[in-house]
Amino acid sequence: MFFRLYRYGLIRSSRDRMMIFWNLIFPVILGSLFHVAFGNYTDKEVLFHRVPVAYVQEEGADGNFALLLEALETENGLIQVQKTSQEKAEKLLREGEAEGIFFQKKTGAGEQSLKGLSGQENSGISLVVAEQGINQTILNSILEQYERTSATFIAIGKEHPEGIQKAAEVLEGEYSYLKEGSLGDAASNSILDYFYSLIAMNCLMGAVMGLQCAVEFKANLSALAARRMAAGASRFRMLWPDLAAKVTLQFVCIIFSVSYLMFALDVPLGDQWGFLLLTLFSGDVLGVFLGFFIGVCGKMPYQMKEALCVTIMMVSSFFSGLMVSGIQRLIERYVPVFARINPASLITKACCSLNIYDTYGRYLENMGIMLALTAALAAGSFLIVRRERYAGI
Amino acid sequence: MAKKVVEIENLVKRYKDLIALDHLNLAIEEGEVFGLLGPNGSGKTTAINCILALLHFDKGSVKVFGEEMQPDSYGSKRQIGVVLQNVAVFEELTVQENIDYFCGLYVQEKQVRKQYVEEAIEFSGLENFRKFYPKKLSGGLLRRLNIACGIAHKPKLIIMDEPTVAVDPQSRNRILEGIQKLNRDGATIIYTSHYMEEVEQICSRIAILDKGRCVASGTKEELKSMIKMGEKIHMEAEGLAPYQIAEIKELRHVYQVDYRDGMLEIRCSGGKHNLVHILEYFGSREIGFGRVYSELPTLNDVFLEITGKDLRDHAEVK
Repeated sequence: MFFRLYRYGLIRSSRDRMMIFWNLIFPVILGSLFHVAFGNYTDKEVLFHRVPVAYVQEEGADGNFALLLEALETENGLIQVQKTSQEKAEKLLREGEAEGIFFQKKTGAGEQSLKGLSGQENSGISLVVAEQGINQTILNSILEQYERTSATFIAIGKEHPEGIQKAAEVLEGEYSYLKEGSLGDAASNSILDYFYSLIAMNCLMGAVMGLQCAVEFKANLSALAARRMAAGASRFRMLWPDLAAKVTLQFVCIIFSVSYLMFALDVPLGDQWGFLLLTLFSGDVLGVFLGFFIGVCGKMPYQMKEALCVTIMMVSSFFSGLMVSGIQRLIERYVPVFARINPASLITKACCSLNIYDTYGRYLENMGIMLALTAALAAGSFLIVRRERYAGI
Repeated sequence: MAKKVVEIENLVKRYKDLIALDHLNLAIEEGEVFGLLGPNGSGKTTAINCILALLHFDKGSVKVFGEEMQPDSYGSKRQIGVVLQNVAVFEELTVQENIDYFCGLYVQEKQVRKQYVEEAIEFSGLENFRKFYPKKLSGGLLRRLNIACGIAHKPKLIIMDEPTVAVDPQSRNRILEGIQKLNRDGATIIYTSHYMEEVEQICSRIAILDKGRCVASGTKEELKSMIKMGEKIHMEAEGLAPYQIAEIKELRHVYQVDYRDGMLEIRCSGGKHNLVHILEYFGSREIGFGRVYSELPTLNDVFLEITGKDLRDHAEVK
């Protein structure tokens, strides 16, 4: 029975032209419009890929910076270092093979940067870049952090050698902050936020499907539901295939639009396919259950429930940054509770964190909240519809 | 004594201050075509929704096949077919897919279901419209599809709530014949309609609901015998004197005589051979007469007599 009803569920939804337009075509159109508006930016950026950098080290220079670069390359995966000669490094920079050049002289020797964002005489390290952009900002941040750390360390060693151990612990903490926080912020891209929000909105569009499911399930909302509720099959045996069909079809729509963004428009959404799919699926399920919950709650007529569904979807997407970049951070700062439960923000942040952080802490946190929200909506819905009889039909 | 398929006892259903069902009692026996008649808002659809356990009710009990009806009384529900007032089919499925979908909620075995679907299509005369979507069907065909979806699984009890609304006479006739066939095949049928002639044609027993109460029930003959009005006789007779009209009024069973423009209208309260008695009177007095015809009371007369002739939609309009 499940597969038969599931098949009919798929057939019904796939023949619904309005649904096909809004859930499949509309996100593609919106994505294309975003691409037209921000296309150049996204084409040029190679965000979330390692930043290629050349490193020229003078003989006899301090090896600490080289160790840091190696750690950032092997452990952090943030940069891709090519240790080479000055001539070759400059050639790489000219040809666009490197985003910058770190020159390191013996301490005390100066270096004149061509267009340096930062040059420190004391450490003997300078950064040379051909243009300014977010990758160059990342390289500059690395250098600044190193300069600050080594200067602090040297000062403590000179003035309070007894505190060197404690300083090392503090600096270790600062390095962690660099990995989890500063670099994360540096790597985030406000333009990509629009695309993530678009994906989140696409996931939440499942709410309208969930609402349809409720309409076909609540006898006080449609004659069709009344006929089904009067039938000799268990309510949940009819409900599960319907919900599964809606989730499946919505997932297909999401995959289609995300594939379009990634492969047709070249939007760099990262390469963590498995986790990205998991996030999209979770968002899809959350969207469908959100709509189903709205559908089964209260006595509002269908049109009002549909309007409520669309409003929640749009408001949620707006506060995740669909229309105004950076609003998500403002909400996180001033209304953190809302930011934590806003479905679109959760999806956006989960997708985003996959590409920003090396660790999965924040990703799992967002996924956990999403899962909890979905479970709460599902449990609430099922409690309402279980053995339900109506006051009026 | 026939087995009771539906038993409703003291059923009370209120919508805030409005009493939709007021201590309703009904018993429907196996093999009947039971007609539920009543003006708008009399509680017919509410009663049906209570039978199907879709509605909460305030008091009383509803038993179907001897079992108290609950939302999860799937055993009883499997034996019920429902044809609701509004067409309830999926717009995105074809005629055949719709019937298969609803039949599949009751019948799991694929081969049996396939056969049932075919029979339902044939029964409703939709053979040439299998691949049509509902929006492409005419009103009559849509109603037939609605019925096919409700009866495809061969239920023992079929509940039909005004299934012939907005249907052309041909389709209506086909639907009524189909209902009679279903009954002959063993199904018990509860049928609500505004069309008195339909109810009179197909129902073996009828209950008249008014203001949530069952105000009369019985066979057509029993209902007709409940009202004062019996036979109505019309005669063409010129120049009748007032004393002759008074004598006619004194005849047995005659309760009202009107004489206007040479046309005599005699109303009898019941009994048999009224016309014979009147003709005997005319013969004995050697009074000449022209055309004569008589009308027996219809269910419509019974309905109007019992529920009154006032319009019932005042409150709703207001």
